[in-house]
Amino acid sequence: MTRPLIELERVSFAYESRFLGDSSAGREWAVEDISLELARGSHVAILGRNGSGKSTLARLITGLERADAGRLSFAGLNPLDEEGAWRIRRRCGLIFQNPDNQLVATTVEEDVAFGPENLGLPAAEIRRRVDRALELVGLTQAASRPPSELSGGQKQKLAIAGILAMEPECLILDEATSMLDPASRRSFMELVTNLHRHEGITILNITHNMDEVLAAERVHVLDEGRILMSGTPAEIFRNASRIRSIGLDVPAFAAISEGLLARHGFPLPLEAAGSATAAEHVLRSYFSLREAPKPADRRPVQTPPAAAREAETVVLVESLSYRYPRAGAVSGPAIDDISFQVRRGEFFGIMGQSGSGKSTLIQHLNGLLRPTTGRVTVLGHDPGRPADIRALRRRVQLLFQYPEHQLFAETVREDIAFGPLKLGVPADQINERITAAARITGLEPEWLGRSPFELSGGEKRRVALAGILAMQPELLILDEPAAGLDPAGRDEILSYLHELSRSGITIILVSHSMEDLARLTDRVAVLHEGRLLAVDRAERIFADRRLLARSGMSPPACRSFLGRFAGDLPQLDLDVRTAEAAVDALDLWLEPRQAAPPAAPRTPEAGDGE
Amino acid sequence: MNFTIGNYYPAASPLHRVDPRAKILGSLALMVTLFLFSRPPAMLAYTLFLLVLVRVARIPLRLLLGTLRPVLTLALIALIANILTGPAPWFWQWGILRFSQPGMVTGLTMALRLCLLILTTQLLLTLTTTPILIADGLEALFAPFARFGFPAHELAMMMSIALRFVPTLAEEADKIMKAQSSRGADYDTGGVLARARGLISVLVPLFVSALKRADELATAMEARCYRGGEGRTKLRPLVFGRSDALFCLLLALAMALVLAIEHLV
Repeated sequence: MTRPLIELERVSFAYESRFLGDSSAGREWAVEDISLELARGSHVAILGRNGSGKSTLARLITGLERADAGRLSFAGLNPLDEEGAWRIRRRCGLIFQNPDNQLVATTVEEDVAFGPENLGLPAAEIRRRVDRALELVGLTQAASRPPSELSGGQKQKLAIAGILAMEPECLILDEATSMLDPASRRSFMELVTNLHRHEGITILNITHNMDEVLAAERVHVLDEGRILMSGTPAEIFRNASRIRSIGLDVPAFAAISEGLLARHGFPLPLEAAGSATAAEHVLRSYFSLREAPKPADRRPVQTPPAAAREAETVVLVESLSYRYPRAGAVSGPAIDDISFQVRRGEFFGIMGQSGSGKSTLIQHLNGLLRPTTGRVTVLGHDPGRPADIRALRRRVQLLFQYPEHQLFAETVREDIAFGPLKLGVPADQINERITAAARITGLEPEWLGRSPFELSGGEKRRVALAGILAMQPELLILDEPAAGLDPAGRDEILSYLHELSRSGITIILVSHSMEDLARLTDRVAVLHEGRLLAVDRAERIFADRRLLARSGMSPPACRSFLGRFAGDLPQLDLDVRTAEAAVDALDLWLEPRQAAPPAAPRTPEAGDGE
Repeated sequence: MNFTIGNYYPAASPLHRVDPRAKILGSLALMVTLFLFSRPPAMLAYTLFLLVLVRVARIPLRLLLGTLRPVLTLALIALIANILTGPAPWFWQWGILRFSQPGMVTGLTMALRLCLLILTTQLLLTLTTTPILIADGLEALFAPFARFGFPAHELAMMMSIALRFVPTLAEEADKIMKAQSSRGADYDTGGVLARARGLISVLVPLFVSALKRADELATAMEARCYRGGEGRTKLRPLVFGRSDALFCLLLALAMALVLAIEHLV
């Protein structure tokens, strides 16, 4: 065997002090005693929560940070030495999380040229590489456009083109898809897979997304700076409880097969955790299908949206159209002829891809935008009338995407108090409201006196949510509240929303995550290219394959895994919102075989995930 | 995003293609020339020369004249001041106000010169050259001074990054303002002080985010092998070609012609 491309031997690193950093806890190891090897041409994933040290690893390999202890090498080069680090970066490209903050130039092709220009290549060679890189990522048409006109997914592809133009052997993705919507994420990962297969580029994908990990040959799970487990994706996900205990997810098919097998006392075979096809195969060989369902003793009764039919209408949107003014500095997708209503107490979802007009739509609900044509009525107010806006903003709160960016006050307490003070809430009530809001969002009392800028990303987001809740809204509108968070952070935020909804607040949740919408909402509106395709009960939306395909969405993973059995079990209840519910639904129809058959000699196909 | 910075008017004209260094030096030379003549025949000749350039650059005349709007007031003040303070003879008298005839001539010359100055730079630089090319041109012109510590490359890179991030930050500012408005902030009413205080809730997050972006961008640039201007090449290196030399020659001839008219006609 030839020498591995990347070698790390007992590497440790601690940040000295952090510039506008997330946490300011003394000298704590970000990465501790890590050893790993990456073979040339391999595809390896590093899985871990935010703050687990996985991004630090990428920086250490490319010499952007200097390891405090241990030995590192990339193709025999030492990143600790300045010249070595520079030569590593020529051969090992890095893609970061935020698409905007890695593009330098004012046109697409100039940006791709940035790397080769730094290498001092002749103009003709730069031109050749730029053209080829743009062709590989499919951005040739956009060569002379400014990067700010591209979508998030296109910007990440442009970042890849900038790296490809340096003709690297290795590509490190540092949470590169976490700010993309599902469709852009799929297309981005397709591009990465192709580069691995056809260009022979070694891939190191640092992520908290399980679906991407399935495509890797080997996975290292990182927690608190240490490698917790290493193995193939199937080996990793067979250890589902351990993965969950460190705040990560397992793919839906692995969770469902684990639950079913455990319920009947079978151990989970390796391949059931490797791909959806293998999991289906294992279940079919361990169970036989029943003619009639078992009595449904376990199945919890699903509560229908409580008396939603009779409740008053809170939001009424009638043939709303909006077009951004041509000359404005800020633009966005237009929306066209949209009508729907939301009733009091409802948990209403709005789904659609980036650019479908979701954000444009919700800005009409508290008067940030005024309809070009059509009418909007919210809680009896007309948000188009300035006199109504003030009254409306007392009762309706809107939380934008990445709301942690709006924090500004010196302490968490002052930031939460900003809204209530603006509303003229009396001083003696403000403290009470802050405490209540902090309690709902799980903020520790001692955090209230700290600067919001000292907190981690997930904590900041909870502060922003608390700032909105302290205004005690009747209607809460949230735009992608879980975007960019890791699974544990996402679950936290979503559980607060669930609680709020149960306490009677009407909630409108904008999301492109089918899982989140499936878990929480009563009804869902589907937006596509500025038009409303459907408004219906969540389960009917998710059952409509044609509708989902048309809007570029795929059904929730649990549902689509159950769908594999729907051919044999036409009465199988596909309307499941969680893996546990899927286990319950499937269990009614499965009869365990007397003895577990030997697991089929089948290697899990990489990339065959949900 | 539809965001235009500066006044660049995209067109495929020979003037657009001229090397930015030639245009920068050319407009400097023309500016100096403008102060070397003051008689009507030369003024007329220079104006005609500009009109020819407008045709060559395929720029709508109205667009070009529109760029004069900011200086019209200044030109008018210069004219009036000259008329009121100029020497005898006076062509009109009204109360204590005396309107000077030579003053009017000087004032008109000044106003016209000011307008021609603006039109020249607009035509040669802002309208026909992208800000990036101007920055590249300046970088190349100042490169010889780099050995004395003049940060020619750094300035050009700063300019490029600033232009790249204007739309991004504009969008972000809009988003933060909307978010704070949703929380009850009001940026349109109240006194100056109240409004300035209100802006804190926009400016602080905007600065924090800009600093964070700067930090991340610096890392990303380093990861892409950036280490300053030394040893860097360009996708489109500035090449001073025959057509650029021809352009310089034409400018020189035009200047000579205008000056000849000033002294001979």
